[in-house]
Amino acid sequence: MATKQRGGVDVRRKKKRNIDVKAIVDLGADYSDDDDDDDDDAPEEVTFEKAKADAVRSMRNALDTIKRDKELLKEKRRKRQELFQQQKKRKLLSEDILEEIELAYTKKGKTLDSEEQEKEESEEDEESEDEEEVVNARLKESYKAVRLKDQIDANARQESASDFIKSRLYGPGTNRTTTNHMLSLKNKTGMNKTAAVQFVDKKWGSEKKGEAEKFKKRWIRNQNMVAK
Amino acid sequence: MGEFKVHRVRFFDYMPSGIRCMAFNSKADRLALARLNGSVEIFNFSNNYFQEKVIPGSDSRSIEAICWVGCDRLFTAGLNGEVVEYDLERLCPKYTLDAFGGPIWTAACNSAETHFAFGCEDGSVKLFEILPDKIQFERNLDRQKGRILSLSWHKSGTLIAAGSLDVIRVFDVKSGHSVQRILVDRGPAGTRNKDCVVWNVAFLSDYTIVSGDSAGKVQLWDANKGTLIKTHLVSKWDVLSLSVSENEDSIVAGTSEGTVIQFQLLSPTIGDAETQWIRTRTFKHHTHDVRAVTETKTAVVSGGLDTQLVICPLMDKVEVKSSESVLRKVIFPHRSLVSCAKKPSLLLFQFPDQLELWRLGGTDTVGKPGESLPVTRKPEKLLQLKRKGDDHICCSTISECGHWIAYSTVSSIRLYQLQCDNNNISITKVSKLPKVLRSAHQLQFSADSSKLFVASEQATIHVISLSRSECKHVHTFKPKSGSSAPVHLLAASADGQWLTSANRHCEINVYNLKKLTHHCMVPVYNSLPSAMAIHPETSNLLMAHADQQVFEFSIVDKQYTDWSRKLQKEGLHRCRSKWHTPITHITFNPSASSQVMLHDTHMFCIIDQRLPLVDLQAQFYSQLTPKDMSETDRPSKNNAFKMCKKYQIVLGSLTLILTLYFTALFPWPLLHVNLLEDDWLVVVERPLIDIHSQLPAPVRQKKFGT
Repeated sequence: MATKQRGGVDVRRKKKRNIDVKAIVDLGADYSDDDDDDDDDAPEEVTFEKAKADAVRSMRNALDTIKRDKELLKEKRRKRQELFQQQKKRKLLSEDILEEIELAYTKKGKTLDSEEQEKEESEEDEESEDEEEVVNARLKESYKAVRLKDQIDANARQESASDFIKSRLYGPGTNRTTTNHMLSLKNKTGMNKTAAVQFVDKKWGSEKKGEAEKFKKRWIRNQNMVAK
Repeated sequence: MGEFKVHRVRFFDYMPSGIRCMAFNSKADRLALARLNGSVEIFNFSNNYFQEKVIPGSDSRSIEAICWVGCDRLFTAGLNGEVVEYDLERLCPKYTLDAFGGPIWTAACNSAETHFAFGCEDGSVKLFEILPDKIQFERNLDRQKGRILSLSWHKSGTLIAAGSLDVIRVFDVKSGHSVQRILVDRGPAGTRNKDCVVWNVAFLSDYTIVSGDSAGKVQLWDANKGTLIKTHLVSKWDVLSLSVSENEDSIVAGTSEGTVIQFQLLSPTIGDAETQWIRTRTFKHHTHDVRAVTETKTAVVSGGLDTQLVICPLMDKVEVKSSESVLRKVIFPHRSLVSCAKKPSLLLFQFPDQLELWRLGGTDTVGKPGESLPVTRKPEKLLQLKRKGDDHICCSTISECGHWIAYSTVSSIRLYQLQCDNNNISITKVSKLPKVLRSAHQLQFSADSSKLFVASEQATIHVISLSRSECKHVHTFKPKSGSSAPVHLLAASADGQWLTSANRHCEINVYNLKKLTHHCMVPVYNSLPSAMAIHPETSNLLMAHADQQVFEFSIVDKQYTDWSRKLQKEGLHRCRSKWHTPITHITFNPSASSQVMLHDTHMFCIIDQRLPLVDLQAQFYSQLTPKDMSETDRPSKNNAFKMCKKYQIVLGSLTLILTLYFTALFPWPLLHVNLLEDDWLVVVERPLIDIHSQLPAPVRQKKFGT
């Protein structure tokens, strides 16, 4: 309701403005014509019908202008759209090449389906030969077209399957530990309790031990320098 | 007698591969095992658990499921999406078939052995029909959203239970539709964020589904109604493997912490008819994840990422106290991976992807018995030969003089000529090999390095003559009985006259190389031969079998020798019954012609054929310092077998002088023992802790007080 009113108010205001303008213009015209007449004459009678007709006319004019504006805008937009489409067409390949590729693609789709249903090797060979012929027609004899997507796909699936297993067995949340820890537990809980394996067996954790040694040397050197 | 100087070799970094899945064939009494590197091993359980056949793996092959069909057909399926059938005579894949469903996670065969079901990554269960010479795709069951991780057929063959993420589905085989959907709860509070992976399902004949999942639960479900019957929370980590016994009264589950749990169908109160699944036994023989379990009539067999195969007998099922009632751990392969070239002191190590050639170190000092000597010349790695292609190396050998190296994979044989002048090593590949050579199960050079004997995949033996310029195919020997079983052992005599071969049907054939004919066949003994050697002087063939029996056969006389008959009559000392691993190598002492040395994984012993055999009940004496003993004491202790129990272990050194009396028990597993010239003994050891230090991460177990 509010919008109606609003629209109504606007339209009414517009009409009023137009009418006012018209009224002023009319009055002006009348005034200029009536220069020679007497000043004492009574003002001209503006009948109701005439006023009504004037109002209707002005309203119609307003509506017409609005319509015209809209149409003009539409035209402009349509022209722009056509222009863009033409530019796009110029960019794409010619139609016949597109058709050929589509043909090859549908044939390939058919071969995949048939492979699902029948496992006879001879059939496979036939189909693959057909699609090869289509593509080979455009290429030279020494080249062969192979779909890289097929080969990479199989490896990718195998990778994702082995990643799934690795993450379930060794991924986060699986609570795994090192072999050193497990063997050290055996040492500590066994009959003769000994130290952890990295201390018992000299060869264990040689990298860490090396790093620890280096750190110790560096620290001692730093301490000496600070002392000085 | 018998003073030796010992090279102790620890630089063979042999690393076995973890066990992924196994299948037991009760009709043939054989276990097929698949490892993470793609190799398949077959163990013969009735033949003292001997590792009968090994099909080498391949880099492109991955195995997730293994299945027997009938007595002699073996199928595997893996993450590369392929189903492989193996030829068990030629020990190679017969054919591979792509299932077009992406990576295959599981495979199961129905009880009538007519159809195979494969569970794939894309969520479909594919049915294949089993034909006499191949398998053929039949149809897909309804495709589901998640990946299918486990499958089980019902005994009738009409229903299949499939385990996926958080859900178990029951499919009707005829229509292909899912008739029941069971939601698996995610477990105790800590694990609610991750979805529950149903790692295994088993469908029992009374329509009960048993499932093991990643929350550590073993659950029993009613398949008709889709409801939960019972939950057993067995571990905080995943239950990775599940197996049901043949008569469905026992279920075994393996977990990530290395425990194997048994459930049995028992009635809780005696005399009650109603039975329940009750958790009975727990075994902890593994340190890492147990990824495969199965059950035979008398034992539980388990294998996992710690690479050991453990056969644990169930004492209530074992009736007779025989070799069945002993816990066995199979860690090392039942054949030798080390070849030795005696004259130049070279060792050839066989890995699945490469060969390594090492020269032994040496010492110039002399010492007393029991002392360890410092090493003056360090052992050096002369050569690392990587294989070509994806297939793993199945056998390799080096000639006595050290100038020829040969190895074989399932697709090719390669021969190399080696020249080493002090510090320079050069190796040249012999490119034109005779066309008849395609793949070999065993390779052996003749004693004078002039011929190469190739035990081919067609069960024949090719003789190739070697020379600097070319290799010519001289002759092909065929087995007399015409059997097509693979040949796994070859032995050539030192004088170049005789060649013997042993195959998987326990047949041992002797061939005459000078006349190029078949000479004779040794009487067949039921057990598989595990090691064989021909005496350099007497030309007697010594054979050791999988059940620890040793025989001596005279090739010239074509009959067993007297010593062998005496050995069989009197038997061996009772200590021999403790030896569980088969004898993998027999060799002779060049300085004492009557001494035979044989070794298995935990001991090596020297048998003197001149001395009398020991009385069964007699005690063993250990002789540490014979030189100090008086003359009168010695003869009474002169037995053919002696044990040396006190063996001093000195870490960090590579040579040691020992007086070894006949049998020494080693604390570390032995991979190879050989006698070199000048009373030197080379011992290749592989401490188990070195293998353990390279295994993948185990689960974290919190122990009080540590």
